[in-house]
Amino acid sequence: MDVNAVEIRNITKRFGAVTAVDDLSLDVPAGSVYGFIGPNGSGKTTTLRMIMSIFYPDSGSIRVLGQEHHEAAMDRVGYLPEERGLYRKMKVRDVLRFYGRLKNGDNVSGDVDRWLERLDLADWADKRVEALSKGMSQKVQFIAAIAHRPELVILDEPFTGLDPVNLDVLQEAVLELRAAGSTVIFSTHDMSTAEAMCDFVFMIFQGQKVLDGTLADVQDRYGTDTVRVRIEGDATRLQGIPGVERITDRGQLQELRLQSGANSQEVLGAIMSSARVTHFELGRPSLHDIFVRIAGPEAEEASDA
Amino acid sequence: MRKALLVAVRDYNAAVRTKGFLIGLLFVPIMFGGVFIVMKFTEGRVDTTDRRIAVVDHTGVVAPALIEAAERRNESEIHDQETGKKVRPAYLMEIVGPRATEMEAQRVELSDKVRAGELFAFLEIGRDVLAPGDDGDASRIAYYSENPAFDDTRHWLTSPINDRIRSLRVAEADVDIETVERLTRWMSVEGLGLLSVDEETGEVRGGEQDNTAAVLLMPYAMMMLMFILIMAAVGTLVTAIMEEKGQRIAEVLLGSVRPTQLMTGKLLGAIGVSLTMVSIYMLAGVFVARQVEASNLVPYGALPWFAVYGLGALFMFGAIALALGSACTDPKESQSLMMPMWFLIALPMFVWVPVVKEPVGGLATWLSLIPIYTPMIMLIRIASPVTIPAWQPWAGLVGVVLFTALSVWTAGRIFRVGILMQGKPPRITEILRWALRG
Repeated sequence: MDVNAVEIRNITKRFGAVTAVDDLSLDVPAGSVYGFIGPNGSGKTTTLRMIMSIFYPDSGSIRVLGQEHHEAAMDRVGYLPEERGLYRKMKVRDVLRFYGRLKNGDNVSGDVDRWLERLDLADWADKRVEALSKGMSQKVQFIAAIAHRPELVILDEPFTGLDPVNLDVLQEAVLELRAAGSTVIFSTHDMSTAEAMCDFVFMIFQGQKVLDGTLADVQDRYGTDTVRVRIEGDATRLQGIPGVERITDRGQLQELRLQSGANSQEVLGAIMSSARVTHFELGRPSLHDIFVRIAGPEAEEASDA
Repeated sequence: MRKALLVAVRDYNAAVRTKGFLIGLLFVPIMFGGVFIVMKFTEGRVDTTDRRIAVVDHTGVVAPALIEAAERRNESEIHDQETGKKVRPAYLMEIVGPRATEMEAQRVELSDKVRAGELFAFLEIGRDVLAPGDDGDASRIAYYSENPAFDDTRHWLTSPINDRIRSLRVAEADVDIETVERLTRWMSVEGLGLLSVDEETGEVRGGEQDNTAAVLLMPYAMMMLMFILIMAAVGTLVTAIMEEKGQRIAEVLLGSVRPTQLMTGKLLGAIGVSLTMVSIYMLAGVFVARQVEASNLVPYGALPWFAVYGLGALFMFGAIALALGSACTDPKESQSLMMPMWFLIALPMFVWVPVVKEPVGGLATWLSLIPIYTPMIMLIRIASPVTIPAWQPWAGLVGVVLFTALSVWTAGRIFRVGILMQGKPPRITEILRWALRG
């Protein structure tokens, strides 16, 4: 097996006057879970579609599973698009078998039934798709992407809109795929999911790569400039402390970003002089914080979604 | 190709195994059968209330004959001969003396009686009808009723009145009535087909009385079948594409199949649906024709042409439907975009009569050589008894093949871009750009 499941070299894609993806290069190591993050409209879906060869880059090249002409690799790739698509009038099992056969899947029927059982959908196998709830159809769509045992699984926003139970079920399933040797790429808005699940994080902003590496690498780039404190009383007491660039209210905790060169001990002293501190922690910024630093506060809402 | 076939089979099953298909299949025979049944039904339901008709006869010699004729009719024609049931109204004539000085007042009076329901109509026979002259009013026969345009009674009256007037004129001229009939005997021109010599027996055949059914019905039936063939395919395609775009299925499919495979599959699926439908009609048609011993009416010679043109038409219109369908983002929009296309497809339905009347005329010839009309119009011409120049069906076929290739190619390029489009519908210029740039 190749070292990299996906190798992207200098791809650019324009839609009219808009450059959706700008000179992007990326390696996705085989067997890893790779998280794509970035605000809405930054080029995530376009990049994923190009990996799927639904779109073609205007320039640059993409190798998928070692194939330059990656159409040939298509049957070994599973794809869950951002917008779910199932034939409403077909029965759940029939849709899944149809999608599986389109991928030249061997014994898809067995795998389909196994996954339906695994994701608690066995009772719905002979029902029509239109009878499913949103969460259920999302699970069905997930099975459609993986039933043919793909070596590479591409999931565009797989966890959006799921209730906590289904969210756990799908996250487990993704980790199970990796354990079975598949490479998984997924895009997400939820930074805590990305932090918890990904071996590598890739952030795209305005069509350009802004972050790429393991979570630790990414965080190291920003150093230990984050202080998390819990104080008794009103959080407004933290206002105006010298050396603090930005305060983010996390409810129970206050997250303070220090100005570069600021001394964390001096900041602690300043806080202690105005409030009673019950928790003080010096650490690396969260992925969420990094995301907001890059994309600006206007992207914060999107990343919380 | 395997993937295209998978798509085709799914689309075929999705379309054929629905109530909609069955309803669509039954719709045509039910519609035609329904018209027939309604006609039969209403035929037996005419108003059989007796009709009183006042006759104001200024000549004084025509009305008595009219009363006689009405009585004869009331005896022999108004009852069903087998069941004895009354199926037509009786005509009851009553003579009203003309009030020469106040004619207008009398007409108004009689009109009021008709309105009141006492009379069905009244008839005024002018003074000079035996020898019509310059006085218009006196030289005419006027029938007054509530609905004079559509009136069987007026139609019936014409012939006894004329018989009477003619015999009176003949008597006046002192000629024998039989001589008159011999002299004025009407000859009609019969329409016959051409003669041909049987190559094996040397026997001369043909010259039989031309059957209007064959001349009109067969070309019409062929055209209708072709129309159904096209409609079924286009309908299936547009429905399927709208679902795939609306439910965002297209992107899932494109993660597994190439756009060309997807398009080929959809086209083949829809063609399958359409061929299923038309085969059922054709078999039923031939079966019925044999049952009623009219199988000589079936233009077997035109069937191969039907097959090749039909296939061409399916690919041609199917591709156009795919392109338009993929460029739409919701069903409403697709309907408004399809409207002009329906007009284009259906045009032959409006011109088929002149084409059948003059299959070698300019209109028929030129229309039949325009690729999108070749399948229907050329077929009408082939199915008609007139011999059209042998090169024309072939020229039409070449046109169809070339145009089909062009539309499939163009549609493929539009489809590729359009199928993933969401949101704002593209402008026509954008669609053209996709077609040109790919």
